[in-house]
Amino acid sequence: MSLAPVTSAIDLAAKPSWRSVKNSIASGLMAAAVLAVATPLVLVLASVIAKGAGVAFHDFPDFFTETVPIVSRRAGPGMGPAILGTLLVTGVATLIAVPLGILGAIYLHEYGARQRFARIVRFMAMVMTGVPSVVMGLFVYVTWTLTFGYSAFGGALALACLMLPVVIGTTEQMLKLVPDHLREASFALGAGKARTILSIVVPAALPGIVSGALLAVARAAGETAPLMFAVGAATAYNGHVFGGANTALSVQIFGNATSSFAAAQDRAWGAALTLLMLTFLVTLVARIVTARVQSKR
Amino acid sequence: MARALDLRGRGDGADRAFRGLAVGAATVVLVVLGLIAATMTRRALPVLEHMGPGFFTSTRWSPADEEFGALPFVWGTLYTAAIAIVIAVPVSLGVALFITQLAPQRLKRPLVYLVDLLAVVPSVVFGLWGILVLSPHLGRSFLTAGIILAIMIIPIITSLSREVIETTPQPEKEAAYGLGATRWEMILASVWPHSKGGLVGAVMLGLGRAMGETIAAALVIGSALGQITVDPLAPGNSMPAVIANEWGEADELHKSALIALAVLLFIITIIVNLVASSIVRRSMARTAGRRT
Amino acid sequence: MTQKMSVLLCLALAACGSKKDAAGTDPGSSATPATPGSATPRAGGGGGGNVDLDASGSTFQKTYQESAIEAFTKAHNGIKINYGGGGSGKGRQDLSDLVVDFAGTDSLFKDADLAKAKGGAVLYFPVLLGPITLAYNLDGVDKLQLSPATAAKIFDREIKRWNDPAIAADNPGAKLPDADIVVAHRADGSGTTDNFTKYLDKASGGAWKLKSGSTVEWPADTQAGQGNAGVAQIVKSTKGAIGYVDLSDAKASALHYANVKNQAGKFIEPTAASASAAGDGIDVKDDLTFSALDAKGDAAYPITYQSWVVVYAKTNKAEHAAALKQYLQYLLTDGQKMLPELDFAPLPKSLQDKAIAQLGKLAG
Repeated sequence: MSLAPVTSAIDLAAKPSWRSVKNSIASGLMAAAVLAVATPLVLVLASVIAKGAGVAFHDFPDFFTETVPIVSRRAGPGMGPAILGTLLVTGVATLIAVPLGILGAIYLHEYGARQRFARIVRFMAMVMTGVPSVVMGLFVYVTWTLTFGYSAFGGALALACLMLPVVIGTTEQMLKLVPDHLREASFALGAGKARTILSIVVPAALPGIVSGALLAVARAAGETAPLMFAVGAATAYNGHVFGGANTALSVQIFGNATSSFAAAQDRAWGAALTLLMLTFLVTLVARIVTARVQSKR
Repeated sequence: MARALDLRGRGDGADRAFRGLAVGAATVVLVVLGLIAATMTRRALPVLEHMGPGFFTSTRWSPADEEFGALPFVWGTLYTAAIAIVIAVPVSLGVALFITQLAPQRLKRPLVYLVDLLAVVPSVVFGLWGILVLSPHLGRSFLTAGIILAIMIIPIITSLSREVIETTPQPEKEAAYGLGATRWEMILASVWPHSKGGLVGAVMLGLGRAMGETIAAALVIGSALGQITVDPLAPGNSMPAVIANEWGEADELHKSALIALAVLLFIITIIVNLVASSIVRRSMARTAGRRT
Repeated sequence: MTQKMSVLLCLALAACGSKKDAAGTDPGSSATPATPGSATPRAGGGGGGNVDLDASGSTFQKTYQESAIEAFTKAHNGIKINYGGGGSGKGRQDLSDLVVDFAGTDSLFKDADLAKAKGGAVLYFPVLLGPITLAYNLDGVDKLQLSPATAAKIFDREIKRWNDPAIAADNPGAKLPDADIVVAHRADGSGTTDNFTKYLDKASGGAWKLKSGSTVEWPADTQAGQGNAGVAQIVKSTKGAIGYVDLSDAKASALHYANVKNQAGKFIEPTAASASAAGDGIDVKDDLTFSALDAKGDAAYPITYQSWVVVYAKTNKAEHAAALKQYLQYLLTDGQKMLPELDFAPLPKSLQDKAIAQLGKLAG
């Protein structure tokens, strides 16, 4: 059956030179595609570094520790409260979404499998992946912020909703990779199901789960729209998760980029560089964890 | 792969408690989605009562006249997403093929990293770059928004495509080479027929993300109201961009209209996901069928 | 310095809020979310008695709020104020839903919306006046002059060339180029758009065809920018462009702006002083609402508008009410002195007195 398309796609009667030319063209196009991907990344990185590095590293570490200037037209650091805000919001979102997501994935793979309820949850998780972040922001605004006011927690809720389906998806993939004979060995030794999952299956899949979760964290840290609805607008440090307005790097980038004042725009680039470094750092950690798993196998 | 034991059997109390915990966590997804649908729909009702079916068919969006027609924004959302797809698909497939078929082993992993790196660049950074670097050259239009969206979805489509393409069975590839095929002919003859369905699924997922992107699109799309045109250089608007742009100054009915846009966007996203998942499932069933 | 230290500590602890609670230095902050009614006073790092005031709304008065908050909180150690911007409509909504302690707004509540406000009756405190400039980018024309009808026709695209006879009639002797006009407007819903289009509607004698509001159905051959800065950026980078921009943003972007013909028939340059002059010719209602658009007076710049701080007459948290009252007092008195420097106009004396008197109605 698979031979039919093969023979029709390979025209052995055509001139060999033309076939190899076509092959070269195709290979060239693929390489060009790689360039096409690399170009915007290099351009964006170049702009952010060129315009942000001078701001972010001027009088190091002021930009990373000083409060956001209340008067946005004035030049000077910093982004300290926004860095803390981003860490708090994404940190709490991670605390909510990762355990829930892992448990949910354990249900889907270890218990539900092909049952109807599991299929529904699996599909809905995929639908949830596609819910636009602005809708998530509006949702949290009407269900949480209207009752409890601005807080880092509101932003964390929105981000957790965005992260949850991603964590479920990647975790289920990782659980699939755990060979059944491990489970069977555990059962044979008399371990119960919960114990088998917690002490055999999850540890076996853990590095992969961690790397998937870290990627979700990196994406969440860069979300803007949901935070603008739920987090409010602080310029000073606020370490309280539930109490009062907070801020975040992404919100500061958007706010400062849409200002006329050069000082504010500079801060936007500095904050963009900071956020990029933060997300790349998280991604890097994720990559190192993944690489360690792969080398172990 | 048949399991030697019935892994779904009920255990003792601790087991049941843990199972309950897991079921509960899975249920959270349904609860949250249900809550989103319920609260948003309730808040969208006033404008739906006010506009009737006109909300979906009218091409005029005039808060001053309390006339809210979503059609131009539906068009803008679909059109910019389509532009993004047209740009992103060839590039993504090219990169995926390059990584899986062409790249020397040493280059493979760095390339995968590069694509993942692109995936975590926050959208607001792209927006910043789009508005300060790209739009002064290209203007603000459907096309500019489409290009920014393309850059954002390329990593998603690339990594999914790469995974699909890598599942092409070695014998099929060798069969093609055995017949004297060049690499390109092998791709056409073996990789493409095998991966078609999965690739369509990958593209559909990228499409979903492109339709929901807010900030970057809002900054570069041009924000024209009531614009339904195929001219890619015309300024337009998309549903998430309208919500983000107009929320701050909207009064009651206007807000309801913006939430109704969110609900409509949600529904369109679900449809896209339904189509994507059914295509993926069908292709997986076909691949599985061929293997046995 | 101590703040820096505590920050580093926070960063190290990651979930700073809850950790502090555990240490017992920060009672009751994360355990109880802010109750509806008003944001709760929150104890900051240094101990009791601190108050956080949250606010959102008009981006027009944000510049003033920023400077005032900085000066005020420097003098009042226990009070923190966050003014979030986000637009007048958002401010009114947030106040209505008790998400914030006060809102900045450039336009009034609709009666129907006011009825839904969860905190009862509101008070309007006018805080400043400011001009909207017609900023343009045209080689060889240093001082454009525009009458309201001509401006209306330019912005609704009836006039499409710079050498149009109507523009020439407003600018005797000027060398107007034979070039296309590019109209720049706001992409986001905006109180500036609302007031500018209200002005055109009111003053252009029927020439304005597009209605007024925070979101306007601009013709498709116009360009949209995000915020005042976005419009300013388009004007600055596009030959032949014209847009409406706050004076402070127009100055920050070094744009040229037109003199606009007022009711007395004089072409007036937008400045803090000419906006003040507009304030002298307005009729103020008892609740301190008014419109400074198209004001009478020889020296009045006609596209001058106003911004209020809106608060609830009664707040159920005494500590909050007191802080809020102190801050409003500052906005209406000492704060007014910094307005000209920020390219806004202070309130005219009579209005300022009425506003200060209204503080007496405020609980606390």
